[in-house]
Amino acid sequence: MKFFSRLSVVLLLLIQSMAAVAANDALVIYSGRSDKFVKPVIKTFTEKTGIKVILHSAKSTALLNKLRVEGDRTEADLFLSNDAGSLQAGTEQNLFQPIPDELVSVIDQNLRAKDNTWVGLSARARVLVVNTNKKNVQDVDSVFDLADPRFKGRIAVTHSGNGSFIAGATVYMRAADKYRVQRWLKGLKENSGGKVFNKHSKVVKAVASGKKDVGLINHYYFYRHLVKYPNAPIRLVLPDQDDKGMGIAWNVAGIAVSKHSKKRAQAEKLIAFLVSEQGQKMFAETNREYPARTGVPAHSDIPPLNSYKTANVPMIDLFKYRSDTIELIEKLGMP
Amino acid sequence: MSTPLASHAGTELNIMQRLLNNIRQLGSLGFFSVLVVLIAIIPLLFIIQNSLQLSAEKWLGLWSARLPELLWNTLSLATLVALGCLFLGVSSAWLITRRDFKGKKLATWLMVLPLAIPTYVFAHIYTVMLDSDGWLGQAWTNVFGSQVAIPDLYNIGGVTLVLSLAGFSYVFLLVKGAMLHSNRTLEEAARIQGASPARVFWRINLPLLRPAIAASLALVVLHVLSDFGAVSMLRYQTFTLSIYMQMSGRFDYQAAAGLSLVLVLLSLTFLVVERFFRKRQRYYSSAQSSLIQPSQASAWQQVLIWSWLGIIALFAFILPLAWMISWSWASWTEALIGAEFWGYVKNSMTVAFLAATLALVCAFPVAFYHSRKHSVLSNSLFNLSTVGFVIPGPVIALGVITFLTTQLPLLYGGLIALLFALIVRFLPLASQAQEAAMQQLTPSIEQAGRILGAGPIENLRRVILPMISGGMASAWVLVFIDVMKELPATLILRPTGFDTLPVRIWIEASEEMLELAAPAALMLVVGTLPAIWLMMRSDARANN
Repeated sequence: MKFFSRLSVVLLLLIQSMAAVAANDALVIYSGRSDKFVKPVIKTFTEKTGIKVILHSAKSTALLNKLRVEGDRTEADLFLSNDAGSLQAGTEQNLFQPIPDELVSVIDQNLRAKDNTWVGLSARARVLVVNTNKKNVQDVDSVFDLADPRFKGRIAVTHSGNGSFIAGATVYMRAADKYRVQRWLKGLKENSGGKVFNKHSKVVKAVASGKKDVGLINHYYFYRHLVKYPNAPIRLVLPDQDDKGMGIAWNVAGIAVSKHSKKRAQAEKLIAFLVSEQGQKMFAETNREYPARTGVPAHSDIPPLNSYKTANVPMIDLFKYRSDTIELIEKLGMP
Repeated sequence: MSTPLASHAGTELNIMQRLLNNIRQLGSLGFFSVLVVLIAIIPLLFIIQNSLQLSAEKWLGLWSARLPELLWNTLSLATLVALGCLFLGVSSAWLITRRDFKGKKLATWLMVLPLAIPTYVFAHIYTVMLDSDGWLGQAWTNVFGSQVAIPDLYNIGGVTLVLSLAGFSYVFLLVKGAMLHSNRTLEEAARIQGASPARVFWRINLPLLRPAIAASLALVVLHVLSDFGAVSMLRYQTFTLSIYMQMSGRFDYQAAAGLSLVLVLLSLTFLVVERFFRKRQRYYSSAQSSLIQPSQASAWQQVLIWSWLGIIALFAFILPLAWMISWSWASWTEALIGAEFWGYVKNSMTVAFLAATLALVCAFPVAFYHSRKHSVLSNSLFNLSTVGFVIPGPVIALGVITFLTTQLPLLYGGLIALLFALIVRFLPLASQAQEAAMQQLTPSIEQAGRILGAGPIENLRRVILPMISGGMASAWVLVFIDVMKELPATLILRPTGFDTLPVRIWIEASEEMLELAAPAALMLVVGTLPAIWLMMRSDARANN
């Protein structure tokens, strides 16, 4: 019996050590953003500073849950997410620690938390994509047009569980009004005929192939498609730009320092790099997003920042009103 | 003041003594199974604790708004998938055990291999293939013209198709095993009495197969209830998906816990009902019984047999495999597969190996106790050990993290948390499969060993274990395969920076990097092959 208990202790220790990926001196990022877009930036950072970084990828919300239940046992030093709603959720659950103001003052105030517990790094716009061969979509200029009965069976949207979809609808709830959004969602349900897409790339593909006439996407999916198919018959529409229009919905990807990080100094070094001009350019450009730092130009393919109107909704509203949006979506039985 | 205190201490002592007595009565086997089950229900306790915080008002809200729809969706899906698996599994097992034809071994392999493909990969591949520029989409347009819309999978029919293709192999395996062991005398007697082949099938064969069918359907239904991959990819609202949405969309843990509790109760009810039906059906075969010999199929019959098995194999394995290979080839030539990739393979195999082995060890006392003692305690222990299977992965994960960080903080941070969750999750698979093997043990053999002077340990080592080694091997393989494919718990609990193949598939597929998801999916299939080979070998041995 003694032998067995000793053996099991040894085994336990062995198993435990097997997966210890030398995390002792490296920064750990819980990342909800695609590896592919983060890795190049991280690599440059490591080359510059010698600080190693481990990317631990999963869905933002799952990682946030993990961070919460782990408490002070967490290995995470930073939390990276594609969605301001998730970042603010972490702030509200008291999972982050404030970043010194002088470090992040270069970032627009609306693109970071009031107490600097998270800071935005890149922004993306919610836009329309239309098929250039279709006559009936030439005058489309608002996201609300998607609910127009004349587009029955002609629109392409993602399912309503998609994070960007929820964030977009939340912005519209604040910028327009709730009842209008409710009617809009009903119209979307009607016009999509229950057939929705599980990926944004498939929305663009459906529009490019002519299967659908108009789609609702984040702007970079449009460019991603053009890289693969340069001659695709698609056009980007910046919606809701006229005088009474609410403007384009934005969302921001950002980063936060975990409350229980023991490597605060290194973590702040990484943030300093990410908000530097070089870091900003790299971080945003790999995915053709807008750098959050004012003055750093975006990729020349995408419409310049000051060329259009954005919806005047604070990013923290993406968390505050998120469950209202979800409730509405569920009540309407959106697919 | 001292008297009440003393008497209080006295009662405490009494309780302790009674407890000790009870433990002594349990015996070491009972003690260990109680221990294992106590560990296995930790996530359940977490759920109960969280759902207790749910106010009556919120329960009512959940009940009226969500539950009827979720119940209907989940139950109708489980029924349809069970029927689908039954149809595919019984028909293929029947043909393979009753007829001799060319390439029978290959056919057997093809019916088992779909087990290596996770449901989310099935769902992913089929949605891509059914796109207008996908293989099946193009084929459809060529056959029916562009006027007839290509069917899509975002409905109960699509989910049923995917889950049936992914799960029918369980029915095939168990039914095939039962058919090989079925006695031909009953069948012959019926034929002599003038019963038609169809009548013999319905009245003799099917009832004889009932235990095997029940056991395999239990496996299928548990997989459906716990499936996250296919339903989330195809947006079909079941309990598991809804629980996930509650947690990730709204951070509403109480509602998630409440729904999980309902799901656990649902599956426990199902298991108890299933056991009840199985218990009423017990057939013993005598050792000298003559087994059914397959008859030689004519050339014409061979064509028919192979077209049916070929269609199943084509959709359940060959097409998905071809898709994976063609996409992997693309990324191979673009040199996207590097040293990191082989690390994921190694991680997956390590975790699956450890978890399967540990789950087998943990399940042993529970299964053995249950097969030896038919008491309320042994039954409840056995049933309680199964709750882990249907608790959604993310919920188990959070339960395990909460438990470890608050109770055993030293154990948190490495592989142990992940292994803990995987063992809890797959314990039922191991204990069910082991128990099935143990039912073949007659107590008399064991008693003979004891009479000849073997102690309990020696008896276990020299008599019992060798006799059930085949069943143990299949149990190990079943768990190994499921761990290889497991995603939701692994995604949350893996040590930092420790990516497995399913995790990579998820990461790449969620970012629509199909060419990177394919090699990982392919490696998952390749990595599962040795395990399947092991199972087929022990199966073949048992049948000779």
